[in-house]
Amino acid sequence: MLANIGLVILFIAFLLSLFATLSSVYGGVKNKNAWVESARNASLLVFPLLSFSIIVLLYSLYVMDFSLAYVYDVSSTAMSPFLRLTALWGGQQGSVLFWAWIMSAFVMIVLLRKWEENRALMPYVITTSMLTTTFFIAVVVFITNPFSKLWYIPGAEDLIKTVFQPVGAVQYFPVDGRGLNPLLRHFGMIGHPPTTYIGFTGFVIPFSFAIAALVTGKSGEDGWIRTTRRWTLLAWIFLSIGLVLGGRWAYDVLGWGGFWGWDPVENAMFMPWLTGTAFLHSVMMTEKRGMLKKWNMILIILTYALTIFGTFITRTGIISSVHAFSKSALGPAFFAFIGITFVSSLTLLFTRWDTLKSEHQLESFTSREAVFVLQNMLFLAIAFAVFWGTVFPLISELITGSKITVGPPYFKKVTGPLFFALILLMGVAPFSSWRKQSLAKVKKVLLTPFLISLGATAVWGYVHRTHPFSIFGLWLVSFVFFAIITEFWRGIRVRMASRGENPLIALFKLFRRNQRRYGGYIIHLGVIMIALGVIGDTYFKQETQGTLKVGEALKIGAYSLRFDGLQGFPGSDGRDIVEAKTMLYKNDQFIRELTPRRDFFVVQQQPVTVAGVYSSLNVDVYTMLVGWETQPTQSVTLKIYVNSLINWVWTGGMVLILGILIAVCPSKKSKRRVTYVMKSNPLYFESFLGD
Amino acid sequence: MEEATVNVDSQEHPEEASIEKHSTMWKTSGRIVTYFLLFALLGLLAWGLAKVQRGQVHSGEAPNFTLKDFNGNALTLSDLRGQVIIINFWASWCPPCREEAAYLEQTWEKYKDRGVVFIGVDYVDTEKEALAYINEFKVTYFNGPDIGTRISQAYNIQGVPETFYVAKNGQLRGVKVGPLQSPELDLKIEELLAETYP
Repeated sequence: MLANIGLVILFIAFLLSLFATLSSVYGGVKNKNAWVESARNASLLVFPLLSFSIIVLLYSLYVMDFSLAYVYDVSSTAMSPFLRLTALWGGQQGSVLFWAWIMSAFVMIVLLRKWEENRALMPYVITTSMLTTTFFIAVVVFITNPFSKLWYIPGAEDLIKTVFQPVGAVQYFPVDGRGLNPLLRHFGMIGHPPTTYIGFTGFVIPFSFAIAALVTGKSGEDGWIRTTRRWTLLAWIFLSIGLVLGGRWAYDVLGWGGFWGWDPVENAMFMPWLTGTAFLHSVMMTEKRGMLKKWNMILIILTYALTIFGTFITRTGIISSVHAFSKSALGPAFFAFIGITFVSSLTLLFTRWDTLKSEHQLESFTSREAVFVLQNMLFLAIAFAVFWGTVFPLISELITGSKITVGPPYFKKVTGPLFFALILLMGVAPFSSWRKQSLAKVKKVLLTPFLISLGATAVWGYVHRTHPFSIFGLWLVSFVFFAIITEFWRGIRVRMASRGENPLIALFKLFRRNQRRYGGYIIHLGVIMIALGVIGDTYFKQETQGTLKVGEALKIGAYSLRFDGLQGFPGSDGRDIVEAKTMLYKNDQFIRELTPRRDFFVVQQQPVTVAGVYSSLNVDVYTMLVGWETQPTQSVTLKIYVNSLINWVWTGGMVLILGILIAVCPSKKSKRRVTYVMKSNPLYFESFLGD
Repeated sequence: MEEATVNVDSQEHPEEASIEKHSTMWKTSGRIVTYFLLFALLGLLAWGLAKVQRGQVHSGEAPNFTLKDFNGNALTLSDLRGQVIIINFWASWCPPCREEAAYLEQTWEKYKDRGVVFIGVDYVDTEKEALAYINEFKVTYFNGPDIGTRISQAYNIQGVPETFYVAKNGQLRGVKVGPLQSPELDLKIEELLAETYP
């Protein structure tokens, strides 16, 4: 009964969002305010209505109402209440509803907050964002409805899942569900999927503002780009968190000892992150210098296009991926949606091309403007390389008839040098100045970090003679690290000299006064740390595999792992566990016991590998139970990875997120300035950026 | 959608009429190229979508093929009637394949004398790396490269690893997408071995 109410409410939400879309266009074109207001009110209602549907679905999952096909598919009595609730986004139907719900939340916040400020743009902001929301709600209602029930036609083999009763069918009430995909039964389920969804859906807002600015011909003005920057930043934060959590989850659960495999699903998330990052940098050029307007417009549209492109390729499975998404019927509808979105935004962009005039020209190739442009080119080049590698199997199959998958070596080879250049630029760019640049001055400032990094590299190079290429990586990381430290030191010194503050106070005030800038540097430090982790993963990863009887040991580098016996026992969530007891030694010194295991989910008939990991700052020893025999004697096949420096990836991820929080956290000062400056000239950003 | 980056800022502040004319030409051709690339991408996606909606071949008679191993010995599927056949698509560059490799070999050792044939089909790989992989995991069952991806296309695989189960009568009995893990292959083989074949 409750589910039926949820269904009806969902349908009303669909009608309202459709109305909002149409009404906003009509009101916008005819300049009829009442229609726009009406569209706004309808849009505001969609979120509470979808919230109601979400709550109904959550409740159904919680009480295990297996008469609903979705609940039957993704939950079971063996699952804990926590996992049952996360199953809201554990399957196609629930996740699309969740997606639409987040999107409607974004729209609601925009319409409540920015109504007066961006009044002229609003009709088309509503049109664009609500058209997208309508599409996703329509998919939920008509294609993958989470409120479908299970029906049984006497004599038929399979159950039918539909909302309405098919002719001659009787409703089927299973006593237990099939349960969530075992790989998703993990604590990470609470973090990675929702943050990723928030990141992806969030980009609809900057996109809507960009489209509205193009339609109204106000794209040459500045207001919309500031709004857009903030919303992009918000979406980008969640996308970044989602990426880090996804990497960590893959490392913990997928059991291949890595965190990034250049899989199409990962690439789908990485591409909009790259273009979004490029936008967040180049938008400073528009804010400060009125330049790169066309470019920024392209970046916004591109970022949004990549999010829906990524969603499309992952949800339809048109590009082979190791991630198993269930095949679904939403392919054709989704195809129509991205086709219309791509073609219409491109056409609109071309039509309004001339409204995007730059206020300045590039004055010097060593200026900060030029550095920004170069940096943007690098981001785009990486995004394109990733895009090309992702769609290449499809292209090669179409053209040559045989599928050529490029695989991680391609991505590493192509993006490696580009990332190298990008990170180098990250160290140098903050020392460049707007308009014109004295190269000599930059050289002087960077000399110290350069010399220190050479020293550090020499020591490292001596210790790791066997991996000559790692030396370049380390030089890069240490140089950029010391360059950022130099930048901090310069700021501190100025404050110490001019205000007589002690270094700690000076550092603190530096952050308080220039949150955005110094938060940005913290983000850069996070990137450096991640780069260090990637160097470890690329050059120092070791792996071995062997079959051991009780008492035997497997050696890898300085480590050895002794197998002491197998045990089997039943675990939670309906799984049988087989666990190997092993002892880890380093240079014959006992470290600790590791218990790699294999969980077999009985109902799903699916096994999941759970690694036994010893983790320290410098190195992870990651062990997996590959197979075992109990006859004639106990033996196990173990795989061991020694992952050097991998923890820097997670530490760097956390530092990066901390940096973002510093950069966006509103301070008293910036609030006061915003209210004061909003109607003033763009020069305000000079001081806000703290040049 | 990378194509949209074509002709960015190619003509700001045109100073003379001739330059302007020239730049208009550039602009128009840039737009045409961009549209062309966009529609090419959409066409590609439509084609891919149509293909994937067909899905893997997972029932009916297993598509026949002849595979040559790395030494040139050939094996034809239809010659193997009466035996249970496990066809495993893999590649040396695929991390999840490495995860299942030891288990596959172990299961092969267990069943090789009981009327079971394992066929490794190496998908889009280089011989050197494939042989290194086979050495690393000490793979002893029949393995060969899928030249021109003919077999992968006949089975319409969506990725690697994928494992197809063929019953004694040559009928497909399902496909496993993703890495095999103990004991699912054992269970499947036992189930297929239990079937009677004239």
